[in-house]
Amino acid sequence: MPSKEKVYSRHMQNKDAAKRISEWSSVLSDIMSTEGKPEALADTVVLDLSYANFTGLIASSLFAEAGAEVIKIEPPEGDPARLMTPYGKTVKGTGIPYIMESRNKYNICLDIHDDADKNRLRALVQKADVLIETFEPGLLDNLGIGYRQLKEINPSLIYVAITPYGQYTEHARKLASIPWSDITSQAESGMAALIGALPGDPEPYNWPTRAGFHAAGYASAVSAVCSALIALFFKRQTGRGQMVDVATADSFSSCVGFPPTIGYVWGKPRPRYGTLDYGLCPYGFFKCKDGYAAVACFRDQDFRAALRILGLWKIEEEWKTLLDRITDDVEKAKILNREIEQAIASMTFDEIFKKFQAFSIKAARSKWRGGGLPVTTKMLRPREVMEVDHWKARNTFFKVDDQYYGIFQVPVTGKMSKTPLRVKRISASIGEDTQQIFEKYGIK
Amino acid sequence: MNNDYFSYTGNAFDRSKVDEKPEALKGIRVLDLSHMIFGPKAADVLAEHGAEVIKVEVPYQGDYWRSSTYWGKYWKHSNPMWHFINHSKYFVGIDVKYPRGRELILKLAEQSDIVIENFASGTVEAWGIGYTQTRAVNPKIIYASLSTFGQTGPSRFFPGWDLLAQGASGVISVTGYPDTEHFFKVPDFFGDFYPGFFAAMLIMMALNYRERTGEGQYLDVSQAEIMMRSIFHFTYSNATGEELGRTGNQDPAMSPSGIFKTADGGFVALAAGTDEQFTSLCEVMQRENLATDSRFAETIERLKPAHAEELNRIVAKWIGSLKIADIRKLRETCKFALSEVEDDVSISKDDWRKERGSVVEFNDSMYRKLVMAGSAAMMSETPGRIKWLTRPLGYHNRYIFKTLLGLSESEIGKLEKEHVVGYWDYRVGQRPPVYYNIEEDEIFNYGGENDAK
Repeated sequence: MPSKEKVYSRHMQNKDAAKRISEWSSVLSDIMSTEGKPEALADTVVLDLSYANFTGLIASSLFAEAGAEVIKIEPPEGDPARLMTPYGKTVKGTGIPYIMESRNKYNICLDIHDDADKNRLRALVQKADVLIETFEPGLLDNLGIGYRQLKEINPSLIYVAITPYGQYTEHARKLASIPWSDITSQAESGMAALIGALPGDPEPYNWPTRAGFHAAGYASAVSAVCSALIALFFKRQTGRGQMVDVATADSFSSCVGFPPTIGYVWGKPRPRYGTLDYGLCPYGFFKCKDGYAAVACFRDQDFRAALRILGLWKIEEEWKTLLDRITDDVEKAKILNREIEQAIASMTFDEIFKKFQAFSIKAARSKWRGGGLPVTTKMLRPREVMEVDHWKARNTFFKVDDQYYGIFQVPVTGKMSKTPLRVKRISASIGEDTQQIFEKYGIK
Repeated sequence: MNNDYFSYTGNAFDRSKVDEKPEALKGIRVLDLSHMIFGPKAADVLAEHGAEVIKVEVPYQGDYWRSSTYWGKYWKHSNPMWHFINHSKYFVGIDVKYPRGRELILKLAEQSDIVIENFASGTVEAWGIGYTQTRAVNPKIIYASLSTFGQTGPSRFFPGWDLLAQGASGVISVTGYPDTEHFFKVPDFFGDFYPGFFAAMLIMMALNYRERTGEGQYLDVSQAEIMMRSIFHFTYSNATGEELGRTGNQDPAMSPSGIFKTADGGFVALAAGTDEQFTSLCEVMQRENLATDSRFAETIERLKPAHAEELNRIVAKWIGSLKIADIRKLRETCKFALSEVEDDVSISKDDWRKERGSVVEFNDSMYRKLVMAGSAAMMSETPGRIKWLTRPLGYHNRYIFKTLLGLSESEIGKLEKEHVVGYWDYRVGQRPPVYYNIEEDEIFNYGGENDAK
């Protein structure tokens, strides 16, 4: 272990531990490299028919990062998702979110309403392991290329359908024509209802608010891929395929699980809570001299440590135990929050960080338990995140240097020692690989 | 045709047949050394699909999330939000501090396919139950280390939570309204749960790879990095030279889009992403002229800030003239995204979610009825399922120690005396519910074949 590294855990400070950790560090020495390594899903073929739906595009991207051959199929006029881009900003006519998710994919054109193209799709399905589609439920079935028909030509096919309300229930049938969007997925799945300023704050800031990124889109995409991979594992053992059905109106509630259980146990919905937290106080970002700093005190000893560091020991008596800091009384929680706010306001982030770190490391070395581990981090804007040495060392951003699209960075993760996820190229031109894929699979 | 399709899918996903269908991960054993939410959720996804997940906790202390709560409220002497992160698992109490405890954990790891941990980076190695020690006894192991910042890089030893991952990744800085002091976090520990699913996905990639090649591997899963993977703001900033920042309730990639207030005080989300969707919206608003207006006719034009603002004003005014009942009716014919803003209670009560199985009323032998989230994605042949809710700390000690470690009753008794293995403290979240007679519980008092020894 490099001696200059700051260690927080007392478990890592004895002699035995040092030897063990150095062996582990050597295992990790080449984990950040993808060079010459195999890919987890190199034997898997995925057809992506997603249309005007980022959940589908993200899902197929994740497959492609793991080495699957992903063939993105779109009509000659292009997938409308190509133009779903902030403020209409494009690079060479293609939207930025679309470019970001155009990882390692092959782009071909097929018109699903054309009989010859339907046969080409069927030929591809015979070679495919997974098919992803996001059309209105029953639309492909109506055209003779839905799961029912395709499983006849490939019984081991894993057919992933992504729509707002899924492929079954009367509700889904009635609302079949409603298309996907991230903001309605956030709203219906209980996320927006919890974000926003406190009830007494001015409108519209106290309205339900969206998370400022495609949070629902990503949550649903990851659960779609996770289930498709579980199906793929089952297929490897039994040869049997199946249908995977994702309803994006469930995205947040199915991911975090809180809304249905709290709705049932409490019988009343939670109000929006501003920058406070439902669980405990303080747990949030506070404005300091040069930005916003996190203060998160989970246990009593963490809280005590934070009070000592922030010069607030005088209020300890009043807020001693976790039960005192439970935030069921918003007015009470605001009082403690304000104390922390005022203390943080007079410090720079560096001051806060150094004090928190020094305290934690000292507490970790102490043989006395319960020294507390107050943690902090600075709230960073995306541009600042890209400059952080830690992420640079981890190759979190892949630099695209494309003749056509130019130079930019896309985030990538999935550090697997043998088969790391990777971005090999970004390619998003409509139909650019049609010829190559048709030749490869003998399609005319 | 549509009706025929729905009767086919209704049958394929019929909830009443779930228990007759196979489980995809049956026969896969997962050693869950993790605590709180991030790691346990990853293991829970695998348990839901039939993996045998053995959760190891420190005796008489347990996972801190057991006794945590929102607003100080408990349910049958347990944290209601602990159940859906830890259902269908086996609970054992083993203390790694003792050499014999470490040995027992390694023996379980030897017989496992997957290990999941989320202690501060390096801690499991220091304890002697890390990847290097596990690999030595089980070369095919898939070992996943989950943390906020990852196992490599200069900040690897920084401790962290969901909140820190959200702040460090840029996610919080883009959530909220521009020109205000408030930056909102995504609630309910989204920065733990979503990366937990992501970790399960990576594990499934590794498991598929192992099935093909026989090789296990080590996974370094950073929750902050996963949050970063999920925002397009970095690429936007590179491509345009500008920061996108906070955009309030407008999704800047769709126009119009936003959350609006109805005449009767309800909240509605609306978005039109394509020309076709926009045309449908114009028809429904009876403003067909907008669909041919040069500012709005094409997607790229509609998205330009001034045009998007104008459209949102028009939509806000229109929604403001409607009632929630009107919105419900419109939803049956409209071809653009339109929904109510749902809350905890409406989600817990939605009949369609219960019919679908995304909200489940589960009846447990120990805790009785609880409403919980079901699978996030439904599978026609191998549906996920909840088999039991959580269990007290150490509830499966005898069962696991006897069936997997070959220990006899007297050996277990000795380990108990030495505090190497143990059970619950009489604390909320650890103990069984008061009405439950644990002395008569057959699994807790599992006799097994080794009784004769």
